[in-house]
Amino acid sequence: MTEFITEEMTLNMGPQHPSTHGVLRFQLTSDGEVIHSVKPDVGYLHRSIEKIAEKVTYHGFMPYTDRVDYVAAMNSNFAWALTVEKLGGYQVPERAEYLRVIAAELNRISSHLIMLGVMAMDIGAVTPFPYFLRERETINDLLEELCGARLTYNYIRIGGVSSDLPDGFRDRALRFLDHFEPIIDEFNRLITYNEIFVNRLANIVIIPREQAIAWALVGPNLRASGVKWDLRKDEPYSIYPQVEFDIPVGKGEVGTVGDCFDRFIVRVDEMRESSKIIRQCLDKMPEGEIQSKLPRQLKPPKGEVYVRSESARGEMGYYLVSNGGLNPERVKIRTGSFSAMAIMEEVSKGIMIADMVALISSLDVIAPEIDR
Amino acid sequence: MATTASTDAVPGFRGTYFGRIKNAIISIMEGMSVTLGYLLQRPITIQYPDRTPKPVKDTLPERYRGILELDMKTCTACLACERACPIGCIKIEVVKDKETKKRYITRFDIDIAKCMYCGLCVDPCPGGAIRHTNEFEGSTSDVQYLVRRFVPPGERIEPAKPKKKEKEEAGAEGS
Amino acid sequence: MERLADYIVYNLPFLQQIPRVIVDLIIMLFFATCMLLFWVALFAGITSWVERRVAGRIQSRIGPNRVGPQGFLQWIADGLKCFLKEDFVPAAADKKLFLLAPYIVFAGMFAVFVVVPFGDGLIISNLNIGIFYVLAISSLVVVGILMSGWSSNNKWSLLGGMRSAAQIVSYEIPVSLAILPVILLTGSLGMQDIIRAQGPYPWQWFAFHNPFTFIAFFIFFIGALAEGNRTPFDIPEAESELVAGYNTEYSGMRFVFFFFAEWANLYIIAALTVTLFLGGWNTPAHLYTNLFGLLHRSVDVAGTFVFILKSLFLVFVIIWIRWTLPRLRVDQMMDVCWKYFVPFSFANIVGTIIWMVLADAAPVLGYVRYILFVVGLMVPLAIAMKITRNFRLAKSEIHLNPFI
Repeated sequence: MTEFITEEMTLNMGPQHPSTHGVLRFQLTSDGEVIHSVKPDVGYLHRSIEKIAEKVTYHGFMPYTDRVDYVAAMNSNFAWALTVEKLGGYQVPERAEYLRVIAAELNRISSHLIMLGVMAMDIGAVTPFPYFLRERETINDLLEELCGARLTYNYIRIGGVSSDLPDGFRDRALRFLDHFEPIIDEFNRLITYNEIFVNRLANIVIIPREQAIAWALVGPNLRASGVKWDLRKDEPYSIYPQVEFDIPVGKGEVGTVGDCFDRFIVRVDEMRESSKIIRQCLDKMPEGEIQSKLPRQLKPPKGEVYVRSESARGEMGYYLVSNGGLNPERVKIRTGSFSAMAIMEEVSKGIMIADMVALISSLDVIAPEIDR
Repeated sequence: MATTASTDAVPGFRGTYFGRIKNAIISIMEGMSVTLGYLLQRPITIQYPDRTPKPVKDTLPERYRGILELDMKTCTACLACERACPIGCIKIEVVKDKETKKRYITRFDIDIAKCMYCGLCVDPCPGGAIRHTNEFEGSTSDVQYLVRRFVPPGERIEPAKPKKKEKEEAGAEGS
Repeated sequence: MERLADYIVYNLPFLQQIPRVIVDLIIMLFFATCMLLFWVALFAGITSWVERRVAGRIQSRIGPNRVGPQGFLQWIADGLKCFLKEDFVPAAADKKLFLLAPYIVFAGMFAVFVVVPFGDGLIISNLNIGIFYVLAISSLVVVGILMSGWSSNNKWSLLGGMRSAAQIVSYEIPVSLAILPVILLTGSLGMQDIIRAQGPYPWQWFAFHNPFTFIAFFIFFIGALAEGNRTPFDIPEAESELVAGYNTEYSGMRFVFFFFAEWANLYIIAALTVTLFLGGWNTPAHLYTNLFGLLHRSVDVAGTFVFILKSLFLVFVIIWIRWTLPRLRVDQMMDVCWKYFVPFSFANIVGTIIWMVLADAAPVLGYVRYILFVVGLMVPLAIAMKITRNFRLAKSEIHLNPFI
């Protein structure tokens, strides 16, 4: 082939670009449609949540964890509660553990629904998005009944949860799951195995196993590269050891392991697994307390702790230093989206602008989670 | 600055020539039958606010965390809610009358514009005086109207007498 | 058109004093305005409402339903709103080109209506090079889109414009090649001749004439979608990639002109497909017009009705496709064109020629059209079966009432 010399152009993608999912900016250097380099520019949504943590109480920081990752707020709550409980050695009643897992898994489904719908929309199919939002609406209704809010739940408390299951919740949740599982198949027929969609995603931006580990990808992004690593299984917390579920990994069904399609399909499969977990939890749930007796003003002992848990976007870790006072001395939040941003520059050389859009949505980055 | 254009083989293709045509026809028909199916179904839109079968406010669950409301008759002025609030949207001022040795609430403001509806103030309230309502429509013409003043300016209200057990608890909190 | 002008001049003697060229010009302008106001504008506007309603229901939403009965007047409200907006020109834009571009896009689209038939004898000008004229004049749209993309001085617009130019120029080839089998069979380029060469019954349509025209029908339809920048080929205005593509910087009436052209183009795609492949305005009654000579006019009306009905069905199919499929990538779009459509179109031409020779020798080949018609029927049947299966699996309930 003849090589032809052309001038590079610098494109500014974002912070107000429809497919950057919030305020996220990429500085693209491209030759027409082909991208030569990508520079992610983060920080447009920085709200200094980590600093705020130093000014509020341990209980009072819980609503802020909702805002770290607002699409999967419950998982974020969960991680913070686990962190403080580990530092202070607080006990959690068993029923509360089940309630936490049910809520967190429902939230994981709703988070994946958003991601899959948005990804389909970025590829150009608008219709799957409202279908998935409709299903998410049912989950929101369920969680609203449970804790009173639809987006920023603030449901999990340190040492338990805020409220027990409302009447009829079990039936409604099971009815939703019965309705939802066939919908996943319908979704697969509508978009996942659509030839255009498959061609847009198969073999695009392959992140091999070694690279994914080296760049600290987490959660579904890591599993799509064929690494069977899920904190719910490999470093179990809460009651996850007592429920049975599989960890879907990328198999390279239509292309190579670790391509955009694998990152898509892994999340589709994860929704089925989450639904399996919820069913088991609803069956096994014991009666009892939902909140252990803790003082109103928590004063965990002096020390530091790092606790990680599996959020919808992968490993979410809270590093907490306590000086024995009412407020944390320092909190550092480790989020999956931030490490996903790091790999962006490495893997996006030579792809097209349309692939760039697919890459951003396949990594499932949430802007507030990057900047915190 | 000039570089050479990438002319590598573009990834993203699979299958044989005719296999892909077949796949395309079948999968497009599958997809189109799903969307046509939804065309024949009932839409799920709730036509908020004016065309709902009953007001959205009434369809909300019991635990819904809407705009905060205060029952001045049961408020004991224990300040637990003010302390629990992470943003400080609750402002309470209590004065002690030197002659009668009685406490009076002179100010109880909840700034709805700041409130993030987390519900942390409702948990510690001993008498259940502060609670969330189902009200969620807070639009006003000026942000200052969003400050709910439960004690009229210039007035003072005598707080309710706390029950004995709760009084101890309230006292323990202050330490 | 000329006959009409003659008739008017003959009946109004004072016109005879004015040079005939000017009279022709005025009459043409008058009819062009009528066409614009009473058909193109009306159609584009109502289609925008229909598309949004259909898209809404496809997505389990309702769509616009507040302005007028069932939101029917939404398009007037939108048009008025855009009309009142500021006509904004970016400071760094190439002002002249920027201002001119929407008109060129619109003119290219509007000029096609000259040869779009509406019924037997109901055509603005029955040019003897009808379909050739369509191919030639619709290329003007590329110039306008490229102009708008370039003059906006916005890199996203430029990318959109370039994509669009590459796409439309490429897809001209399979589209023109897909038309050739029809021209071979008809022996004429005139729109009315092509329609007359087909019959009223589906198996007499060119789409089912022989296996090659059957494929050509699909190539033409999909290629026309690509030329009209519709999904799955809406790459020039890919909203998730290029924000809005070439019309990003436009506002107010100029923006409306782009959308005007897009929705008018919907009808053009549908009408051309109906003309070339789906029998046009032919109704069974047209076979017997000689018998009932008196009823000639009413047969014409029925033909127009049938033609518009077929076109509207195709418009619905285009909308339905748009709200189902994802978008191709720009290189895949080229791939589909050059690796799939162009070879198949060439094969179609050769195949049609061989078929014509063979059909003269062996009249039994005439029965193939019935088989093809049955194959064509299988498509809606298969979709209906799939829908029933989907409804069974998801336990959905049918709700046909379109008014919410």
